[in-house]
Amino acid sequence: MSVEQGIREIIIETLSVQPEEIKMDEKLSDSLGVDSTEMVNVILSLEKKFSIHLDDKQITKFSSLRDIIILIESKRTTA
Amino acid sequence: MKDIVITGMGVVAPPGIGTADFWHHIQEGRSFVSPITRFDSSLYPSRIAGQVNGLESYKNGFSARLLKKLDLFSHMALVTSDLTLKDAKIDLRNFNLHRTGIFMGNTLGGWLFAETELRDLYLEGREGVSPYMASAWFPAAPQGQISIFYGIKGYSKTVVADRAGSLMAIAYGARTLERGKLDLVLAGGTEAPVTPYALLCCNTYDFLSRKNDTPENAYAPFDKNRDGLVVAEGAGILTLERLNDAQRRNAPLYARICSFYTNCDGYDRVAFEPDGTCLAVAIEEALKEAGFEKDGIDYICADGAATASGDISETRAIKKVFGRRAKEIPVSAPKSMFGNMLGAQGSVDVITTVLSMMYGTICPTINYKNPDPECDLDYVPNKAQNKDIKRALVISRGRGGINAVMALERFSNGHMTKKAFGGGTLCQLSKA
Repeated sequence: MSVEQGIREIIIETLSVQPEEIKMDEKLSDSLGVDSTEMVNVILSLEKKFSIHLDDKQITKFSSLRDIIILIESKRTTA
Repeated sequence: MKDIVITGMGVVAPPGIGTADFWHHIQEGRSFVSPITRFDSSLYPSRIAGQVNGLESYKNGFSARLLKKLDLFSHMALVTSDLTLKDAKIDLRNFNLHRTGIFMGNTLGGWLFAETELRDLYLEGREGVSPYMASAWFPAAPQGQISIFYGIKGYSKTVVADRAGSLMAIAYGARTLERGKLDLVLAGGTEAPVTPYALLCCNTYDFLSRKNDTPENAYAPFDKNRDGLVVAEGAGILTLERLNDAQRRNAPLYARICSFYTNCDGYDRVAFEPDGTCLAVAIEEALKEAGFEKDGIDYICADGAATASGDISETRAIKKVFGRRAKEIPVSAPKSMFGNMLGAQGSVDVITTVLSMMYGTICPTINYKNPDPECDLDYVPNKAQNKDIKRALVISRGRGGINAVMALERFSNGHMTKKAFGGGTLCQLSKA
């Protein structure tokens, strides 16, 4: 499974949204109306799925899907 | 209190969701108390309750994404708010949301959500706890969720006062309207005590019935063989407006809230003051503020704690105030049919009383079989009675000796007609 697919699955499951609602280059707060507690939930799930640690300032509700993919891929490369 | 009127009513309760379903069932005089099925309660001394069915089928904009952040008590409050606004024929786009407020009563908070998160805290550590816990568990969460869902921004409060909480919340909402700080109030209460920890706390306090083998007969206020109340989950919410505002928008006019009084026994942590002196003072003060003659009270909706301390002191208080006439006033505890919703019960009692006024029918105290010489009023035993009710009192009491009394007056001169009440939810029913 690609990193992108894994992130998409987490967003869909955590936020109960439809796949087509997730936009590659839009802030999650704009495309999905994500609030800060939902974002904490997304971050915790990403950490578990990819076995990484994320600083809560690295990913915020103002991040896009592309931002998250780039960050997680870089974490996995350096791990 | 002058010219504060109830213009909408919503209820989620074991007998039904919405006032029509609720009223249809509670006039039958049968029990909605059953063994607890949500979790294994086999080791609890009391393991019966009034439980709500069918809540998940009420959607109306409450998405899965929203509901996963809520405890049951907030979910019930949202559904009940929606029912109430519809019943009141209110489109909030026509109201100034900065002058719309929410007043809610609650006792326990959101333990169904909190318990699993606390378990995860100890098993998995801090990262095992859902971030939604932060806004799901505390007693003011329903107020917050209602305000967010509808964009309501006005002066609001949550009242924690044990079983008197929602009656107080309605009163504070009404007084805030009276002072002109708001134009519209959503007021009531919500409670979800059927969870392992919440039920344990109620059991520890030792006020619950242990008649687990006969749940339908368990909650027996004023009966000599009573052994405590039965808890129930549910919510009741009203819309309140000033009369001239309500008339201007041609709103349903259910009843006036005429007065409210509250005081404390100052006596004991568990038992009520035995002579009912403080409750009698609260009733007298409520009558005085309302300007009601004692002869003019047609019905009293009782607290009906189903403990010796509660029932006897409540009976003595009523006798102290009304003297010889006390025995002529019907005093019932319809909650004996479905259980006591603790912080939500006062608002559901107000709704039951208003429905009784509208339909000219008093709902009974069920499970009344063995008269107690200390409790010798007309408790409307086991079967509904027809009665014209113009003025009524609602009594709510809480642990630690909290007494609360509200006086209500039917708005119209006769019983409800479909035309007069404008075709709201309730008006789908014909008179029983």
